[in-house]
Amino acid sequence: MNEELDSQLSAMFDNELPAAECELLARRLSRDGDLKARWGRYAVIGAVIRAERGVTLDGTVAGRVSAALTSEPVLSASDTAQASGRRLQYRWWQPVAGVGLAAGVAAVSILWLRSQAVPGGSHAAAPLVVASTSIAPATAARSALGNASVTVPDSFVVPPVQQSPMMVVPATELADYVVAHSPYSWPVSRGNLLSALMVSEPGTSSTPAGSDQPAPGVQGNAIQNPK
Amino acid sequence: MSADASDLSLVRRVQRGDKGAFDALVLKYQHKLVKLVMRYVRNPAEAEDIAQEAFIKAYRALPQFRGDSAFYTWLYRIAINTAKNAVVSRDRSPIEYDLDRSNTDESYDMQGRMKDSETPEGLVLTDEIRSTVNAAIDALPEDLRTAIVLRELEGLSYEEIAEAMACPVGTVRSRIFRAREAIDRRLREVFEGGLGRAEELG
Repeated sequence: MNEELDSQLSAMFDNELPAAECELLARRLSRDGDLKARWGRYAVIGAVIRAERGVTLDGTVAGRVSAALTSEPVLSASDTAQASGRRLQYRWWQPVAGVGLAAGVAAVSILWLRSQAVPGGSHAAAPLVVASTSIAPATAARSALGNASVTVPDSFVVPPVQQSPMMVVPATELADYVVAHSPYSWPVSRGNLLSALMVSEPGTSSTPAGSDQPAPGVQGNAIQNPK
Repeated sequence: MSADASDLSLVRRVQRGDKGAFDALVLKYQHKLVKLVMRYVRNPAEAEDIAQEAFIKAYRALPQFRGDSAFYTWLYRIAINTAKNAVVSRDRSPIEYDLDRSNTDESYDMQGRMKDSETPEGLVLTDEIRSTVNAAIDALPEDLRTAIVLRELEGLSYEEIAEAMACPVGTVRSRIFRAREAIDRRLREVFEGGLGRAEELG
């Protein structure tokens, strides 16, 4: 047996041999009985130097394991590939399960926050304020119409909505916003939004006083009587 | 250079169906594993049984070994778990195997047979191996002895030994190899010549 090979074997035993050389030597080691016996004696030398008391050094365990493995099926590359495939399956589920869990937690959090906000929160107060302030001018307009109907039988003038400084009319602003940004929005959604604004807030649906663009069917602030 | 390249190359061969490569891994780690298991069980024969079981479990689980950790680390975990399970099942068992050993100074396996490794011949052979190796180490030149002891006892890498001994890594590799060869020459006589051979070589 040549000295270079033995030197490589010694370095391989210490995990100090380059990987490429290990491949070649591992093949030879698994087939060469003399080389394997030498390898085993290297292990015995290490065990004695470490003074491993109580450990028998005649290679009994190795012999018994080798005998026991004769009845074991030989491993194949497909076994390793199947094991890798199972691991990949598990890995595929991990991110999906993680995203699902995160989405579930987020949904529960949103529902909980909404349920906490509805009973007395600030979100509920705002529409009430808008509603109460928007009803008042409409009532005033109706009463004005009632008085004017006697003196002006064929037409009437809609009195301009009195906007107090504290009054907020978000629907009007929203309508202006939607119209101003109409080139950038979908026609269907724009129409739906405008319809919703007009239906939900009748008091603010008319064109405000001083507006440059009159509403359809309206000339200035005058609405023609159909009669 | 990978720290675990040699073990990994043997593992890959086993995974491709080369059982002989697994023998090399068992030969390399059998003593360490028995020593490890003896932290959990005092009886050497029982420790050998557990080590054997751990090796067989490792062989069966080898398709799942990816090489993310060192092979010995992976084997170590299998052995620890096997030892713990053995201790638990033994504690539940009404039979106290240790009593047999303490009373008769002999050990038996689970079926009550005397263990080969604990036969008088086995014990004598182990003692002879120890004395032969120790005598061979004592006879080594100082630089060879220091190199092999730093490697085997302290577990230093070649690079660390080179630093400690103020010499190139190649010299360390050569010294360790020559130390092993010198010890192995005498040890081989014991294994091949049988009992009493070491005394003759003395």
